[in-house]
Amino acid sequence: MLVSNLEFLPDQKVLKHIGLVQGSSVRSKHVGRDIMASLKNLFGGELAGYTELLQESRVEALDRMIEQASGIGANAILNVRFSTSSITAGAAEIYVYGTAVQLADN
Amino acid sequence: MSIQYENRQAPEGVNVTRHNPVLHLLKLLAAAVVFIVVLVIVLNLLGAKIARTVPFEVETALMDRVDHSFSDPGTPPGLQAYLYELSERVGENLQIPEEMEMQVHYDSENEFNAYATLGGNVVFYRGLLKSMPHENALAMVVAHELAHVIHRDPIAGLGGGMSSMLAVAALTGTAGGGAVAKVLTTTGTITQLSFSREMESAADRAALVAIQKTYGHIAGADELFKVLQIEKEREGESWTAGFSSTHPQDASRIEAIARMAKENEWPTTGPLTPLPDEFTEWLGGAGQ
Amino acid sequence: MEIILFLVLLVLGYCFGLLAERRHYRSIIAREKVMNSLPAIASRYPPEDKPYDQQLVVGSVVIGSDYFKSFLAGLVNFFGGSVVSYEGLLDRARREATLRMKEQAQKAGAEMVFNVKYETTSVGNSKLASVEVLAYGTAMKPVFAPTPSAAGEG
Repeated sequence: MLVSNLEFLPDQKVLKHIGLVQGSSVRSKHVGRDIMASLKNLFGGELAGYTELLQESRVEALDRMIEQASGIGANAILNVRFSTSSITAGAAEIYVYGTAVQLADN
Repeated sequence: MSIQYENRQAPEGVNVTRHNPVLHLLKLLAAAVVFIVVLVIVLNLLGAKIARTVPFEVETALMDRVDHSFSDPGTPPGLQAYLYELSERVGENLQIPEEMEMQVHYDSENEFNAYATLGGNVVFYRGLLKSMPHENALAMVVAHELAHVIHRDPIAGLGGGMSSMLAVAALTGTAGGGAVAKVLTTTGTITQLSFSREMESAADRAALVAIQKTYGHIAGADELFKVLQIEKEREGESWTAGFSSTHPQDASRIEAIARMAKENEWPTTGPLTPLPDEFTEWLGGAGQ
Repeated sequence: MEIILFLVLLVLGYCFGLLAERRHYRSIIAREKVMNSLPAIASRYPPEDKPYDQQLVVGSVVIGSDYFKSFLAGLVNFFGGSVVSYEGLLDRARREATLRMKEQAQKAGAEMVFNVKYETTSVGNSKLASVEVLAYGTAMKPVFAPTPSAAGEG
């Protein structure tokens, strides 16, 4: 599955747009990490625990979007966009969506 | 040839995990409760152990700095002298370590209470003293509070109780979700209280030994709990009191006293020593 | 007393939350079947095969969690991991918002919606989660006007 945030691919022809596909994942870290992060927040800097949390989450969301796309017979997803939102304290959602397309075989 | 557009139906259930929510909740809840209980137990044992190694002088020095007077300024000198004399008399049979100096205080509030705190300070409230029928009953209260000091319970409670309560608060505070925090804090508190009840029982046992040695019998030693029982019955006690209170149930304390007397073959009857004649006068009459 | 209230809220939250979720999914799936004839596309470049009028269309919805879901999410927060109890919430919100956007486009006589974008915001307090999803895009309305050139393929 080709995943890209380009509108169209320079050397490949899009035959069909077959719909919007999306993947989402909500995650939270355990309290230990939360406490460390709130301590770290006093001094600033990277909250490595949360970076990791969102990265894992993004991978899952991408996987889910790809699963949807292959479920409807697409071979590429174009114009992919990510969005992150915090749902409650300590839990964040990663949302990714794009257009599922069928590319012409070269 | 231009691009075709259509909207195919994406497969169902990709973005939603199939799970049994009730089972999921029960599993997580059980795990969280076990975690909190273990944490509180470990912190209590560890905290109390560390706190008890703190020398008693540190406690005294600390209380000196606090500059708080436990005694009522209007305490009748006769009452102060009597409480002191009684604590000395009972204390002789409690093996008070040399470095410990007890400070007995009287508080004219009408509360039905007595407590021991840091630095060997023991406070008796007017409400409690007023309902003492004879010296034997009062001696049991005095011995009980002195035993707390000897066991270093005030500082152990601080070390074990405070540390575990702080830990629980820190954990549940960041966990968010008001109800979750509440459930876990309650779990921690209930676990915590079992330690407090154990301290009370230990103080009861030590006090009873002292009473037996002082009077040669333990008659009237369970009077306090009988009075407490009546007091609570009047107020109407809730069914959760068994595990939600800092002290063991009065009935079980009375029972424990009887059991201990039986095991050691201590007489449960004997002549009761009356309180001094001026006692009610010191307390400002029976009224109020 | 408090524990009874808590259990009652938990059971009520579970039952009504489950009912509401099932009903909502049934409605979403039925409406999606109809609305699939109107494609929503994330692409920014609309077809140029025939003349179109454009109109901005939006669809939004706020979906609230129930007591049971929030409690479960709070527990998950303690140990960390996927907050599965909120997944259905977000999935429904997104699909509902998309449907509302499409319904608006259909009313306007559009054939498809281009450049679809989503915005997610958490509203409400930290204890009871509610999410708003906003879906928006440009509805492409074919213009059946002067030019006699019959449009490409259908």
